[in-house]
Amino acid sequence: MFSLIENEVIKMISKKRLMFVLAILVVLISVFAYGQNQTLVRTKAQLSQRIGITATNDWRKLADQQLIDMKNRLDSPYMDQKSQASTRVKMEQLQYNLDNNINPLEQSAAKFTTTFMQQAIFLFLPLLIIMLAADMMSGESSSGTIKLLLVRNVPRWKILLSKYLTLVILEVMVVFFAFVLAAIISGFFFGFGGWLAPVATGFKVFAGKLDSSSVLNVPQWQYSLMVYSLAFFVAIVVGSISLMISILVKSTAASIGIIMSTLVAGNFISFFLSDWKITRYMFMVNLRLTDYLSGSFQPIEGMNMLFSVTVLLGWAIASVIISFMYFTKQDILV
Amino acid sequence: MQLTPVLELNNLKKTLKGKEIIKGIDLTLYPSQIFGFLGPNGAGKTTTIRMIVGLIKPSKGSVTICGYSVAHDFVKALSNVGCIIESPDMYKYLTGMENLLQFAAMNKSITPQRIKDVVEMVGLQHRVNDKVSTYSLGMRQRLGIAQAIMSKPKLLILDEPTNGLDPAGITEFRNLIRKLAYEEGMTVFVSSHLLLEIQQMCDIVSIIKQGSVIKTVNVQDILHDARIEWQLDDPEKAIALLHDHWNIEAVQLKKNTISADISQHPLDRMNELFIREGIALTYCSTKQTTLEDLFLDLTEGDQIV
Amino acid sequence: MFKKSMWYSILTVACVGFILLAIGFYQAIIVTTAINPQPSVKAPISLTTGDSTKLPSKNANSFQVLILGDSIAKGTGDEKGKGFSDYLPESFKNDTSKEILINNAGIDGQESLGLLEQLQSKKLDKAIIDSDFILVSIGGNDIRSILSLNALAKEDQFKVRQDSYLANLKQTMHLLRTDNPNSIVIFLGLYNPYETVNSAEDTRLLNTWNYNTQQLIEEDGKTLFIPTYDLLKFNLGRYIAKDGLHPNSAGYQALSNRISKSVETIITGS
Repeated sequence: MFSLIENEVIKMISKKRLMFVLAILVVLISVFAYGQNQTLVRTKAQLSQRIGITATNDWRKLADQQLIDMKNRLDSPYMDQKSQASTRVKMEQLQYNLDNNINPLEQSAAKFTTTFMQQAIFLFLPLLIIMLAADMMSGESSSGTIKLLLVRNVPRWKILLSKYLTLVILEVMVVFFAFVLAAIISGFFFGFGGWLAPVATGFKVFAGKLDSSSVLNVPQWQYSLMVYSLAFFVAIVVGSISLMISILVKSTAASIGIIMSTLVAGNFISFFLSDWKITRYMFMVNLRLTDYLSGSFQPIEGMNMLFSVTVLLGWAIASVIISFMYFTKQDILV
Repeated sequence: MQLTPVLELNNLKKTLKGKEIIKGIDLTLYPSQIFGFLGPNGAGKTTTIRMIVGLIKPSKGSVTICGYSVAHDFVKALSNVGCIIESPDMYKYLTGMENLLQFAAMNKSITPQRIKDVVEMVGLQHRVNDKVSTYSLGMRQRLGIAQAIMSKPKLLILDEPTNGLDPAGITEFRNLIRKLAYEEGMTVFVSSHLLLEIQQMCDIVSIIKQGSVIKTVNVQDILHDARIEWQLDDPEKAIALLHDHWNIEAVQLKKNTISADISQHPLDRMNELFIREGIALTYCSTKQTTLEDLFLDLTEGDQIV
Repeated sequence: MFKKSMWYSILTVACVGFILLAIGFYQAIIVTTAINPQPSVKAPISLTTGDSTKLPSKNANSFQVLILGDSIAKGTGDEKGKGFSDYLPESFKNDTSKEILINNAGIDGQESLGLLEQLQSKKLDKAIIDSDFILVSIGGNDIRSILSLNALAKEDQFKVRQDSYLANLKQTMHLLRTDNPNSIVIFLGLYNPYETVNSAEDTRLLNTWNYNTQQLIEEDGKTLFIPTYDLLKFNLGRYIAKDGLHPNSAGYQALSNRISKSVETIITGS
């Protein structure tokens, strides 16, 4: 198995697809970082215009004020129990900013790295994975190399398994490089720090509503790790589905087309058909796992982290089973 | 001494999209045999080969290689096989050597030395480290053969192997195959439509048409068959004479030409008889039958389905 | 060979990465689904809602003031942390020797609907019943998002929002009166906190809002509409906090003075 995986990885390296994908990452991250920088500069200018130049840099006074307000809030007998935790969390964040002299307006490499993946997880990242996965099997079919690959004293399921494991390895590489490239490139724009800043998480879904009662702060590096691992999970799921399509459809272009259109359709579906129960079970609607972490989602009935993860896992397992069953029985006629 | 058959096809059938394209093939091959599979386009040669190596599953029947069933003992059966199917499609973005290394990695028995030897055997020493995308058709064919013989298989299956080789290459190839079969004891299964090639290379030939084997012949036997052709002015009389005196069945080919297989019978006495009986004899010659004659005869031209 | 060494490095990175990501994944799941993740700080404050022993009770020697509404009601923006809760009693003291007791139920970001729901939850019933004065500041958050819309959408949105706000306000008044028919309800008008010159359009909308509010609450005889627009228009630098939105300490003091001036007679009279 080890040598089979080595074979597949070497093929991937030689095909230069991996390099191509990484190059896209570099270009896009640079563009985004630059764009963010421009937005930041513009926002500061706008705020200065509205409130007065001093206000934007005088965030300390503002933060102090907000701390006082929040403390009053906590002391009030009318304080809503549920908002207690989120108020406390915000206070910790303000206190951290004051202690470390961090203007909350400012961007940091850590913030950018996290935000980048939060935005990329449901469309951009799947696109990169599809580019790698879709070609794995259909490339061999269309170029005819599959004949030589299968006429060996190696059972078909082993060959498929080696390709699948290679795909997992590549998925780790993509996620890893996304992290490293985002951190480094944005570091040039925003400075390389920010990894210890507190980030709020711990949002739950209770009876279809957002529940902030157990909100807590975690350091940015830990939050980033969580975000990227969710991205990795999404990558595995999308990769499995792509591989299955690649086996069924035998044409790289068609595979990419099919999956991309389902992904794009997913965005429409969650917007237009949020009433239909069945849309909850489609994989593309459940890709925004990082939204559960940050609490920035529209609670649709019945959907929470565990639900989405289970749905995605189900799709992945089904894809793998179908892939193996089809591939081992298939007549190769090319 | 009974040798274990290297390849056994037992009532092999295949139905594809509702049509039965292979209608029951039986075949047994032993070590050191060079076997030719001959047939018009669409007869089912490649389909049969695909079933032998497991690319297609038979609808009925079985394939056994060196005693191992392809359906139930895939790994053991395939370890004895080396194969090229249609054109040998290699990874174009890898070099020739990298391609060979890929396949060698899947079979523990192949040593680096063996790879070097094989590359020399096919004459690719100088180009083996170039990307396959730069190879000519002939070079790709050689690489394909190299990949097939790397594991020293007991059964070597070649589908259109001389495709793209120049005449010198074809001769080289023929010698290589002969060597592999007779010196290393390989069984070689060659499928081709190049009749002359098959005739020159193979010991046994099966002719397949529309999914069934219609005749299996020993090449030597065919070549020994010699027919005599006469051009004379009274064909019917000559035919009657041959029949009465030697019990030879002659056939009339054209207006004044007859042909007969005379085996050991004396040709001079026949000619003497013709002249004595008043038949004017203008022409007499031997005509060697070829595989082509047999082939065209049996397949009646190019009916495909 | 180059490719071979690349393969080994890829393999290593992949193995290490996989372990890290698996850990992160596990954590992410725990954080969003477990019943009790490690909380950052335990609550030192014991919360009571509707605990009558804490709330000041009505008696003849005190004025009870209930403050309802949004962040301005709460006193957000006061750098001394006083707000109406402290400045009102100070202003009232000039006119009476009675004790001034304040209940402040203001909530940041509260909109008219939220206030209505707060009253409907019945938690404030006792406070309402016991109050002599009820100070209400609401509507700022309702209107704020409209002003940032483009001209085309503004007019329509304004009508819709205003209608629903007035409906909420009507019901709110009804609930207050059901519990306490006698308390004086003081309603704060909206001001414009932005320095930059607003369009005539925005000013008109703000004035319309205040006007309609005043019309509605003055239907009840025991209410009072206190405008704030005029007091703050040219005094933004003096009376607005650093956040550019809420009154600062001086602002709250000025507003409290204006309120106490308006109800002077009622306070001294009782």
